[in-house]
Amino acid sequence: MNTKATNAPSQGVPAVGSGISVGRIVKYAAIALALFWSLAPVYWMLATSFKTELEATRINPTLIPVEPTLANYIGLGGQSLPFFAFFFNSVISCLATAIIAVIIATPAAYSLSRARFRLRGPISYSVLLFRMLPLVVMLAPLYLLLLNARLLDSLAGLVVGFTTFGLPFAVWMMKSFIDAVPIEVEEAARIDGYPRWQILLRVVTPLILPGLLTTGTFVFMEAWNNLIYPITFMTTMDKQTLPAALVLTFTGQFKTDWGGMMAASTVTTVPLMIAFFAVQRSMVRGLTSGAVAGA
Amino acid sequence: MKAAPARKNPERVPWIDWMVLPTVGVLAVVIGYPVIYTLVLSTTKYNMLDMVPPRYIGGGNYEHLISDPIFWTSLRNTVVYTFGSVIVSSLLGLALALLTESLTGWRFRSVRALLLTPWAVPFVVVAFLFRYMYLQNGGVINAVLLDVGLIDKPVLWLNDSALALPAIMAANIWAMMPFFFLLLSAALAAIPNEVIESARIDKAGTWSMVFHIKLPFLKSALFISSLLMIISNFNDFAKIWAMTQGGPGYSTTTLVIYVYRLAFENFDFGYASAIGVVWLVLLLVFALVYLRAIRMNP
Repeated sequence: MNTKATNAPSQGVPAVGSGISVGRIVKYAAIALALFWSLAPVYWMLATSFKTELEATRINPTLIPVEPTLANYIGLGGQSLPFFAFFFNSVISCLATAIIAVIIATPAAYSLSRARFRLRGPISYSVLLFRMLPLVVMLAPLYLLLLNARLLDSLAGLVVGFTTFGLPFAVWMMKSFIDAVPIEVEEAARIDGYPRWQILLRVVTPLILPGLLTTGTFVFMEAWNNLIYPITFMTTMDKQTLPAALVLTFTGQFKTDWGGMMAASTVTTVPLMIAFFAVQRSMVRGLTSGAVAGA
Repeated sequence: MKAAPARKNPERVPWIDWMVLPTVGVLAVVIGYPVIYTLVLSTTKYNMLDMVPPRYIGGGNYEHLISDPIFWTSLRNTVVYTFGSVIVSSLLGLALALLTESLTGWRFRSVRALLLTPWAVPFVVVAFLFRYMYLQNGGVINAVLLDVGLIDKPVLWLNDSALALPAIMAANIWAMMPFFFLLLSAALAAIPNEVIESARIDKAGTWSMVFHIKLPFLKSALFISSLLMIISNFNDFAKIWAMTQGGPGYSTTTLVIYVYRLAFENFDFGYASAIGVVWLVLLLVFALVYLRAIRMNP
């Protein structure tokens, strides 16, 4: 805290000393431009979602909805399309993937971080390599695998699919969180005579709890974003996830109804936004420690 | 060895080694098996619609691939899409990280949170949002450009085979830039204060500070973050599929789109697998070269 307080002004000194310099104006203009570029599309989505169908497709778009309406959101609940079912399917399958991936990955990550067995190196590298595999390469065999296991067109099958990218990612990220826990902490507990499993539960787990949450959220976000698995593996419309349903219905239902489309998009965005900002701070730590460990 | 075990490894607990097994087992089923099966399928003629089992044809699919112009077009599109998007968004992210560096406290936190917003927008939503903004009639981008006078008639962004790929890339850059911004700001904050202070005492100017002091510190973060994004862009399906489905013609067909179409529109699993294998090899070679480059510049 103290160092920050003394450092901040000293870093700003050259700029402050020269008053309102041209460089400063350019800098703030650039930041303002970046903010506009980042936020304008999001604003446009929100604004359009409150417009009537007619207003949303006007040749001269209106900046602020002239007659704001909630009809687009109400329409999502009531019409022929089971939007709540899509929402539910997405939440369940992504949540299940995140939880399962973290539960399976964490012991493996601990083992890869702490144990020293012979296959440790090859397994670590394979996990990293699996992380890089193009999903589409595995699509046909996975499809046949799920077909034979009678898991096609089920949320369980979808979770299996999501695991192909969720698990390697979770192992890789949890390993970097566990690497950051000083081994001395565990050694101290061991000298005090605690058995190893108690050290894992009582000492290590609380320390990596933020890591567990961050990793889980990341897996959740990636699964939420995934489109190729649901549109390939799910054949019944009622069982679709939200992103896939948006793509599949757009050709029919929303062909010209951009207001409705943007309302549906907003609903699809909100859970991701909440998840994202909930872990934003520890995410930076997770990603950078991951970057360091990866190097 | 037995008499004097290493200090960091005072007792070997076998079950800690075994904790890796569930992951290995699951990955073997959901990744190992499909990858091997893809290798096998790639040497066969197998169309799901023919109702006949796969027939071994050796390198037949691979020969077909070399003379398939759509394969080469989609390879080119993949390279342009991936590297174009990653280069532009990493440079923008870097510039923003440097620009916002001097902000502190709540100002930095709020600017950062706002700049990160696009990252939290799902890919499919990014696609539809930009599709809506690109509309010929009623699209806000055309309306603004017409108003300002930069164009005199609406541009068909996504229906023009020369403009469609850059238009999707713009949406992609919008969605990806926050990732680079976040990682690079974190890396900037991690530069030791003494380094910056001593450079300041040496009267380093703003530019030489950036190029000689800060960039070398950011090198590894830049390498890793761009590797991650290159891999994820190689695999990007959602944005392209939801915006153009690979059209018009094949102008936005990347390898993912092409393989998907072959496998799930034509059900030509054999040929689709062969392309998958070639792609896999390209990606692995790329990843190895990249990782080696990182190891050489730590």
